Amino acid sequence: MKALLAIARKDLLLRFSSRSEWLFFLILPLAFTAILGGGFNFGGDGDPRLPLFVVDEDGSGLSAALLADLGRSSTVQAHERSRAEAEAGVEDDEAAAALIVPAGFGASLAAGEQARIVLISAPGDIDVLAIGQAVRESAARVGVAVAAARVSREEAEARRPFSSPSERQVYFEEGLRLAQETADNTPQRLKVTSATQADRGLADYSQPAQASAGGIVTWVFIPLLGISALFAYERSGGTLRRLVTTPVARSTFLLGTIGGQSLTALAQIALLVVFAAAVFQVPWGRSPVALVVIMVTFVLSSAALGTALGALVRTEAQASGLSIMLGMVLSLLGGCWYPIELFPSAVQAAVHLLPTTWAMQAMTDITMRGQDLAQVLPEAGVLLGFAVAFFVLGVARFRYE
Amino acid sequence: MPAMIEVSDLVKRYPGAPSPAVDGVSFRVEQGEVFSLLGPNGAGKTTTLAVLSCLLAPTTGDARVGGHSVRTDPMGVKRLLGVVPQEVALYLPLTAAENLNFWGKMYGLGGADLKQRVAEALDQVGLRDRAGERVETYSGGMRRRLNIAVGLLHHPSTVFMDEPTVGIDPQSRRSILDTVKTLNQQGMTVLYTTHYMEEAQELSHRIGVIDHGKLIALGTLDELTRLVGQEDVIELKIAGEHVPSELIEALRRLPDVSQASAEDGAVRLLVPDANRALADVVAAAGAHGVRIAGVAVQEPNLEAVFLHLTGRALRD
Amino acid sequence: MRKLWAIGRKDLIVLFRDRAALILMLAAPLALTVGLGLVTGGFSGGQTGLRDIPLVVVNLDQGPLGAGLTDLLQDDDLQSLLEPAFLDDPAEARRQVEEDAAAAAILIPQGFSAGVLPDAGGAVGPPAAIELIQNPGRPTGSAIVASIVSGYVLRLQAGEVGAQVVVSQLVASGRMLRQQIPVEAPAIGRRLAGNASNFSLIQIESDVAAAEAPASFNPLAYIAPAMALLFLMYTVGMGARSLLLEHEQGTLARLRASPTSESQVLGGKLFGTFLTGVAQLAILITATTLFFRLEWGSPLGLAALILAASAGATGWGAVLAAVTRSPSQVGSIGAALMLSFGILGGSFFSVELGPPLLQALARLTPNYWGLQGFTALASGGTLADLAGPIAVLWFMGLALFLAAVLVFRRRGAARG
Repeated sequence: MKALLAIARKDLLLRFSSRSEWLFFLILPLAFTAILGGGFNFGGDGDPRLPLFVVDEDGSGLSAALLADLGRSSTVQAHERSRAEAEAGVEDDEAAAALIVPAGFGASLAAGEQARIVLISAPGDIDVLAIGQAVRESAARVGVAVAAARVSREEAEARRPFSSPSERQVYFEEGLRLAQETADNTPQRLKVTSATQADRGLADYSQPAQASAGGIVTWVFIPLLGISALFAYERSGGTLRRLVTTPVARSTFLLGTIGGQSLTALAQIALLVVFAAAVFQVPWGRSPVALVVIMVTFVLSSAALGTALGALVRTEAQASGLSIMLGMVLSLLGGCWYPIELFPSAVQAAVHLLPTTWAMQAMTDITMRGQDLAQVLPEAGVLLGFAVAFFVLGVARFRYE
Repeated sequence: MPAMIEVSDLVKRYPGAPSPAVDGVSFRVEQGEVFSLLGPNGAGKTTTLAVLSCLLAPTTGDARVGGHSVRTDPMGVKRLLGVVPQEVALYLPLTAAENLNFWGKMYGLGGADLKQRVAEALDQVGLRDRAGERVETYSGGMRRRLNIAVGLLHHPSTVFMDEPTVGIDPQSRRSILDTVKTLNQQGMTVLYTTHYMEEAQELSHRIGVIDHGKLIALGTLDELTRLVGQEDVIELKIAGEHVPSELIEALRRLPDVSQASAEDGAVRLLVPDANRALADVVAAAGAHGVRIAGVAVQEPNLEAVFLHLTGRALRD
Repeated sequence: MRKLWAIGRKDLIVLFRDRAALILMLAAPLALTVGLGLVTGGFSGGQTGLRDIPLVVVNLDQGPLGAGLTDLLQDDDLQSLLEPAFLDDPAEARRQVEEDAAAAAILIPQGFSAGVLPDAGGAVGPPAAIELIQNPGRPTGSAIVASIVSGYVLRLQAGEVGAQVVVSQLVASGRMLRQQIPVEAPAIGRRLAGNASNFSLIQIESDVAAAEAPASFNPLAYIAPAMALLFLMYTVGMGARSLLLEHEQGTLARLRASPTSESQVLGGKLFGTFLTGVAQLAILITATTLFFRLEWGSPLGLAALILAASAGATGWGAVLAAVTRSPSQVGSIGAALMLSFGILGGSFFSVELGPPLLQALARLTPNYWGLQGFTALASGGTLADLAGPIAVLWFMGLALFLAAVLVFRRRGAARG
């Protein structure tokens, strides 16, 4: 036991004897969480909707209808501005986009032609996609009302023509009003919910939760694989050889290294989780116990894998390169950067051979589906199995030089 | 009294190697003895030591240390042993104190006892005032001294030292040799490998000469030099580094010469009578256009023994 | 000059003999390219690889509208996109979504049609809503299903609202008798719902080019260079490391003791790194172009870009060597730099999508400028279009090299 602690302590001293280690341990993960997290709009001014400037150059009943529909959107927050103000506002990043309803909009629609609206946006802002979708939906709804009014007018005309253009116009406008009224009173035909077990408090697909969870897995995974570099270093320095001559069993010093590095990794994770929660209000699910269990089993399996890799590599440079490469590939394939639903189904099945896949699966279960400990126990079990298997491999293939 | 170290028909063959690195070696080392394994590079000294320290398993044969067999009770062996490896095995980014603390714990030391021993060790190797600095800042000699201190921290009854003086300055070497003598006076059994004849001569009670994995001679210094009989050693220093092989062959063919071998810039000869042989030797050198820079006649020593037994110099 | 070449060439050979380094310099970026290609559908012609989205449908409705939706989901056009499974039990369907066996579940309740269409007597039943349960772990798939279903519902609404409006106005203006409603209304509704032009009356003109990538753009034309550039930084780090290693081992001093000036030595070593980078990029780009059938606008431009990218990266390598003290320090800082530049410079996601701070920092990296060049080439650009990125990259390389030399001089002087 004393030997275990001594070994863990020695590893820590060795690892942090180089100040650049703090880069990987804390500085980079925090920096990137901050940079990437800052791109997502959370909390802020209390209204999570995306701001959109709207400019009504038409002033007709139809443009008003369109703007009114946008005003009811759950995605965007419409603010009326003049054109100059709107364009300036987009350039100054006050809003991601501005919608211009040009003059003649209402007239074109009433005449039975297509009408045009213009969306100006800041180039490459990811919010534009969501805003564009909301605008499309409002346009579709207003379009439906217009179509109804038009068809009504045509049907009426077919049965008995109008006596004057103004009667026609009045009929159309009445139809429009009726359409909007009817649409407002139509009961909701579609209810969209998310398969999460918690009642509230969780976003549906929380991109920041995915990004944070994925980032944690990546930034913690790579240094744990880097345990192989620790072994390579000791091997080339002759200290591993000397360790073997001491009356300490092989499994003891492997366990000491795994244990010590695992605890370090857990400390790192705790810091990152707290940081993300405090600064970006990333929702971490409703079961902290489940989160802890998954983190612990994931860390153990990664540390064991790093130890097994230590038996394969010859030099420290090889080890660190291999841990970066393997770390990145396994993170990508495990769904840490993009959800694995995007992979072809054959690949989706195959990547279940990787520990990172199971870890991400469990993380999304916890953060997005609101599952608790009992439900993620299978994933925890698999991760623990990986840990044992890699550990056995490491002990069996262990060479001191 | 049972021997401290007993090696019986030890064979170690590396997989894929044409011949064994250790080929049927047997010897005993008594308690309180300093025993040297002398031989050129690649003779099998390090491998023998590796098997004895339980780094490698024997292919056949056995070895016992303090009664424990390396095959069946390696932990028992390791507890008794202190090991000073050939290359410095220390954690360079850590301090001397941290290193000693760590290795002490690996040997089961702890608490006040460990603290005291660490202090003693630091004093012994003269590193007390630099104990808080990283080992990577130490000179080569200091590192070697610390390397030894680490091996002795737990006061083992037996210590293995593998070529501890390779490539270091004369002062440090002197200090290491003195340390070995002191330790032995305190009762420690020492198994010492080297290819420096002078060290083996100075330190050891008995010497085992090893070459190509086999023990070719074993005994006290006197017993070994007697093998060479009354032969003298002539050392010829040559101008220029290269010794033409035709010269060596010619010298060997001389009736007054038993053995001849070449080294960098020197020729070593084993002759029954230096006075009789000298003239012919010098003539042969001249005939081959080799200029002599110096001649020395020596009493038989371990170099001579080795030359006699193998036809080669110790320092190949 | 010849000495520069000799030193550089020697380093190139040494590095390429190191099998482990080769694996990292070549195998890793290729592996990641393939992985990312799979994800972004680069292998299926530019659509995301998302196909066969698993969804479960429970249709308890006995009317035509529920059947309309289920027919739509099984439509030929959607065949490769969706993989619907039909169940009878809503609880089972929900369970499948919760257990990640499906991207979404569509529950069409009993009485859905009855809640929309009037019966023989003209009465409409109580409204019943379709429930769509989304799988939070499959955001893209469930979003696609949601848009399909809400499109259907919107069309229903169009028919519904339209029919009501038409009918009530006709009746109000005396053009239709109340008794005719049950017959006329459904037909009118169907006509409205079926007329697709009703849904595109309002056209949105957008000046956003970045949001939708041009259809002919192959994502792999971005990914392959992105990964190559990421690992170029690794190579450069290795170069810096070898510089420090030689320094440690004293061979550098031996070189300097020979009649070679200090900047010649430094230049020679860095030239070796530059050559290695060029070789690496050339090999990777050639390999991915052949395997993945990529197309570049101008081979000359490609070559020029590769040279420039390696120059820019080598500049950073020089700085790395100048400011670190030991080979192992270079190893870890170099790795950190590689990952940071990769993330900042757009090797993992398009910089345009990030916050302004990110976009500013990106411009410090060779990755960013290299990718600008590569995307220009992939869109059929010529050497002229690359002038900007190439100029910046060379400037970066030279400026950083000079800075590094200054630091080296000062360090050398201090050591005396």
